[in-house]
Amino acid sequence: MAGQPLHELCPAGSGAEAAALGFALAIAASWAGPPGVIWAGEEGVFAEDGAPYPPGLAQFGLAPERLIVVRAGKREEALWAAEQGLAARGAVVICALSARGRPLDLKATRRLLLFAEHNGARCLLLRPLAEASAAWTRWRVAPASSEAQARELGAPAFAIELLRNRAGPAGARFTLEWNVNARALCERVPEKHAPLLRQHAGLR
Amino acid sequence: MSTVWLAIFLPRLATDRLIRSGRAHEGKPLAVYAKEANAFVLKGLDARASALGLRLAMSLADARAIQPDLETAEAAPQEDARTLDMIAAWCERFTPVVAVDAPNGLFLDITGCAHLFGGDEALRAQVVARLEAQGFAVRAAMAPTPGAAWALSRYGKTVAASEDIVSSLAALPIEALRLDEGAALLLRRLGLKTIGQLIEAPRASFTARAGERAMRRLDQALGRAPEALTPRRPPPPVFALRRFLEPLFSVDTILEATKALCGDAAAQLDRRGAGARACALHLFGVDGRDRIVEIGVSRPERDVKALLRLFNEKLSRAAENLDAEFGIEAARLDVVRLERTDEAARTLVAEEAHAGADKIAALVDVLSARLGAQRVLRAKFTSTHAPERAGAWRAALSPADSDPLPGVSAQSDGVMRRPLTLFARPQPIEAIATVPDGPPIRFRWRRVLREVVRAEGPERISGDWVRASATRDYYRVEDRDGRRYWLYREGLYGEDDAPRWFVHGLFA
Repeated sequence: MAGQPLHELCPAGSGAEAAALGFALAIAASWAGPPGVIWAGEEGVFAEDGAPYPPGLAQFGLAPERLIVVRAGKREEALWAAEQGLAARGAVVICALSARGRPLDLKATRRLLLFAEHNGARCLLLRPLAEASAAWTRWRVAPASSEAQARELGAPAFAIELLRNRAGPAGARFTLEWNVNARALCERVPEKHAPLLRQHAGLR
Repeated sequence: MSTVWLAIFLPRLATDRLIRSGRAHEGKPLAVYAKEANAFVLKGLDARASALGLRLAMSLADARAIQPDLETAEAAPQEDARTLDMIAAWCERFTPVVAVDAPNGLFLDITGCAHLFGGDEALRAQVVARLEAQGFAVRAAMAPTPGAAWALSRYGKTVAASEDIVSSLAALPIEALRLDEGAALLLRRLGLKTIGQLIEAPRASFTARAGERAMRRLDQALGRAPEALTPRRPPPPVFALRRFLEPLFSVDTILEATKALCGDAAAQLDRRGAGARACALHLFGVDGRDRIVEIGVSRPERDVKALLRLFNEKLSRAAENLDAEFGIEAARLDVVRLERTDEAARTLVAEEAHAGADKIAALVDVLSARLGAQRVLRAKFTSTHAPERAGAWRAALSPADSDPLPGVSAQSDGVMRRPLTLFARPQPIEAIATVPDGPPIRFRWRRVLREVVRAEGPERISGDWVRASATRDYYRVEDRDGRRYWLYREGLYGEDDAPRWFVHGLFA
């Protein structure tokens, strides 16, 4: 996953948006180099799921001084901003699209892919589950219950499923925890697909 | 390069304005009057009324007696001022430095602008011809000082001062020195009728206030004393001006012209060792309107390509608003704000380290130019307990004014005490708590009942006394599906009002 240009993260039903966002941010935080992270979101997403909150993002492991948030009024503007971000090279781009409006067509995702490939950049597309896409991988993300001691929330945990994988088999399910200090997503319960995860997701 | 001032005199501004706006009958002499010392006196005359022997300051009754079919209108100084300002704005296509000289004049600093128009005199002739074409009586004259230009435009027989200002002004009456009536009268009583006589008069004899004032005006006109004029807009430290033989209509040709302007400005910036932080492109239409396109740059920039890219972004989007069907006849690029570039930072080793940051800065510029500066944001921290203000966003283009990360965010124990997203308005929920001051055991948000399985808290954030808001107890809770929320209870049990619960943010 680390070496590939475009990935799609879809919340598993309503209420999973925060988890999908958290997963995207965790990946971005583990990838982000000096240029940082460009987060281009549609205004509707920020209204629906809340606006990015700097102190929370800092605690989550994203360097606030390297984060640029674009609040796009229209979908085309969000996509355009994402493309510009990819063209700047080096930055990780998170493009968050709202559930409202018609689903993104194949052409638009292909454009993002081309921009990312051409510039050697990486893009995480955060959007509702939809059909056509040019992304290398598509993940369904749901929150996972905490396994910390009683009364504690513990690390953010995600139940993810690899729905599509251009580079190999799909269908794997994992439960991952975000370890802020290590800047790494760690698998909580080793499943039979663990080796695949390591191979394709490039995650520890 | 010596300074050249152009003084413009609009002797019939009030009547010209009325005639232009169609509020006066054609073919009849027109006069404007105002009440002065309990009598109506003439304040403005059109050419026809002057030709019939009417004079300014004549009483309205006398004027009517001389000329019964005189058309009259009450003076409207504010309307006149507005018209004068409009003319001043129009004049900005000749130079960025235009000062309004109320009630009926303008000063233009045309230093360094005239070569675009084929010389000082060609520029002056063009200003006069075009204002006349718009229906204004105009006189304009040039001189190295505003005072001398003013004198020549009102009283001079020539329109340009010769090398020696003294000889150009000597024959003019002392009124040409911009004196009030009292001062002029005093000098005339002393037998000083011309500027030449005043120059030769012994200075020591002018101790009276009126005399001193006259001497100061004389010194200003001769360039011996400084004169500070206030231009309509602050003069830009760097500007480039172009006019076009054929009006420009398409965005492409305008961009081409912008490129040339950016080149001119960049060369000047280069000489100063500075870069532009904010630019304004003025596009002067044949229709007399001034269209302004502004860009901001997050770091001092003097690279033509980078500047052009930002203008391209703005112009190609504003193509329909540009409204250039009559064409653009001149354009001026003002560097409104500039900043010294640190040469050391741009060379050698630092180059590599800056490359990434430079790219991001360029990206911020492009995004801001197209989407608007308030949509491209960077984090801003403020040392306050109020969560809404502790972390917010500022335009990425604006200078950084962020406090360092406050304590609660800087903790590196890996515990996330603050949510990833925050709602602009906390969303009210119905919550049921078992213990009066404990976390809820279940709550309903967005019509879904959620059962709390884990909770951490409370974290008490006392009210912001400035805004008189209540104390809040924040909890981080997880529901049965693993979704995490940042909830708070406002108010305490046992107080008059039942406490209210809100969702303020979401965790991953």
